Amino acid sequence: MTEVKKTYKNYVNGKFVRSESGKVYSVNLKNEKFEIPLTSKKDLRDAVTHSKEGFKHWNKLTMYNRSQILYRLSEMIEGNKDSYISLLHQHGLSKNESKKDVENAINTIVWYSGIVDKWEQLTGNLNPVAGEYFNISHQEPIGVTFSLSSNKVSLNHLVKSFLPAMSVGCSVISFTDENAILALKLSEDINNSDFPSGSINFITGNFGNIVEDVGGHVEVKLVAIYSDITNEFIKTLSERGADSVKRIFNKPAVDGLASILPFIETKTVWHPKGK
Amino acid sequence: MNNWNYAESKESEKIVSIEKKYGHFIGGDFISPNSKKYLDTISPSTEEVLSSISIGNEKDVDFAVQSAKEGLKQWEKTSPSERSKYLFKLARLIQERSREFAVLESLDGGKPIKESRDFDLPQVAQNFFYYAGWADKINLAWGDQRTQPYGVVGQIIPWNFPLLMLSWKVAPALASGNTVVLKPAETTPLTALLFAELCDEVGLPKGVFNLITGDGTTGSHLVNHKDIRKIAFTGSTSVGKYIQKSLAGRDVGLTLELGGKAANIVYNDASLDEAVEGVVNGIFFNQGHVCCAGSRLLVQEDIHDEFIKKLEKRMQMLRVGDPLDKNTDIGAINSKDQLDKITQLVNEGVKDGGELFQIECELPKNGYWFKPSLFTSVQANYKIATEEIFGPVLTTLTFRTPEEAVEIANNTEYGLSAGIWTEKGSKILWTADRLEAGVIWANTFNKFDPASPFGGYKESGFGREGGRHGLLSYLKDSS
Repeated sequence: MTEVKKTYKNYVNGKFVRSESGKVYSVNLKNEKFEIPLTSKKDLRDAVTHSKEGFKHWNKLTMYNRSQILYRLSEMIEGNKDSYISLLHQHGLSKNESKKDVENAINTIVWYSGIVDKWEQLTGNLNPVAGEYFNISHQEPIGVTFSLSSNKVSLNHLVKSFLPAMSVGCSVISFTDENAILALKLSEDINNSDFPSGSINFITGNFGNIVEDVGGHVEVKLVAIYSDITNEFIKTLSERGADSVKRIFNKPAVDGLASILPFIETKTVWHPKGK
Repeated sequence: MNNWNYAESKESEKIVSIEKKYGHFIGGDFISPNSKKYLDTISPSTEEVLSSISIGNEKDVDFAVQSAKEGLKQWEKTSPSERSKYLFKLARLIQERSREFAVLESLDGGKPIKESRDFDLPQVAQNFFYYAGWADKINLAWGDQRTQPYGVVGQIIPWNFPLLMLSWKVAPALASGNTVVLKPAETTPLTALLFAELCDEVGLPKGVFNLITGDGTTGSHLVNHKDIRKIAFTGSTSVGKYIQKSLAGRDVGLTLELGGKAANIVYNDASLDEAVEGVVNGIFFNQGHVCCAGSRLLVQEDIHDEFIKKLEKRMQMLRVGDPLDKNTDIGAINSKDQLDKITQLVNEGVKDGGELFQIECELPKNGYWFKPSLFTSVQANYKIATEEIFGPVLTTLTFRTPEEAVEIANNTEYGLSAGIWTEKGSKILWTADRLEAGVIWANTFNKFDPASPFGGYKESGFGREGGRHGLLSYLKDSS
């Protein structure tokens, strides 16, 4: 019997879509070759539009609810563990490395699931001002985030490139190139975890095709670069991004509280005390 | 017309001694500029030349940065508790010489003495005192996060709160273990130069604090210097964007505190008299030369007429004049350039169809002055409703529902601050949650404290100054 081969598509606004350009690029695994959507500038703009809506929906949910959705993702991956291990093996990792990586990824997701309703207790505080005022600093998510995920073949690294932003309430457009299959495979479990449409999107292709548009798009509030990209790309992003004072982080922390700090904005509210 | 006659009550200028000419403060000494070029700093209330300051060229900047690099070696060797003590000592000295600083600030910048004396200087001293205490507790500030100072930090500050902005920048930078090259604004360098003398007096290791004076070109040399590890800038959004662009592709930290066009929302259930006071303070404090000034008054439609009447009456009580007179509420506009800019925007507002109210008062013959102004009948697309005027000019817009108030308030690329006036607690919290601004004042306005983080959303910049959060602007992740 002939095996059925999967067609991998971008994941945008809760739907699996081809590039509007119709273009693809090839990713070679050990035994198989796949054609992956080559994201165009128009695809990027669509993803941003949906991500902006997704941000609103993701933020409407309570922290408790968001926490459970992330936890559900770990459950989904646990259930499909073997298929991830096999896919990583196809990417060239040993069976053992693949298994370890999937387990690490699950642990990472569980950790971020648990921080969703706690981080603000660690980053916010009352400020002891010299006067009769109630003064509190708390944090809000910055908004639509474009994330360039790690070049490493690793599910754990992949999830670490969007969970910090997601866990504080940002919506994410996650971009991958050579690891596209892993990301698009993950999007299937994301799709089964009750994330609001548009809150997390996966697009794939050649970053050079869209770098100027990512930098120049005013609705992309933050760019997080977890991969090794050329200094030329970073320069382009920053130069274009400066027009909208875009937040751009090259290699932000991937562990602990430090990993979420880039994605939050501090709001300080004052009120007098009195009778 | 205001018929209350006050007797003049002038703060004496004798307390300050100003040199004819100043060099840069580099490596613990005042040195003549390599550029051999100077520019005059004048008193905006009299147009009298106060002194000449050096214009730093590329070589001057390089000398200052090299000095800060040398200073870093000393500062790294200095234990956190010793660093802490230097900052405490600076705070104490500032308190002791506070009157001198206040007079100098008012002379050089034009702000009323009651503000420099009762607001700027106490805040400056408190700011050094506050961050002094953090210097030996950096490891406690952000949990188990491993951090390290950037190293040599370049800081560029504006002319509206010269010494206060110096303290916002220098105190946390030094407390976190960095060394500094500071460039004050070209129109208001004198208090920073006096501060440099204090650094010498407390025995701060040479090169830890360096001061380079000059204009925009000096600042640009500082930003582009290859050995700078971080730039902290407060000023206009356009210059902020230019700096961000200049640093593109370089591994240099950046925090920006830029412009604003804050909405001050007055709901119909506000305590109107208190709101009037708050709105007046929100826009006329420091001649409106405040990035977080409440420059857009959003008043609920049904109380518009009553509120504007009260507001105009209160505005008429404002006393415009000599900054050194203790009765003065509104001092001089900081420079001729700024006055021209304000005048032009106000003229455009009138041309667009805005209704202009200005208080009746006599303005001094010399110096730069602008009457406190209020625009009504303004459309949201007028320049006066969207652009930062940075002067004593308030623009009024109206709204019907809380949703509409929030929409108008957020309809700007800026996001520095906002105000809310209502007696209803739940409405404050509902509104505060929805306003895109880094600082929100509810039933108050323009309140600042060293312990309270300050900084913007959106194109008002990034990074915070003040409080525990302010430390993060001078520490980088080292995990």
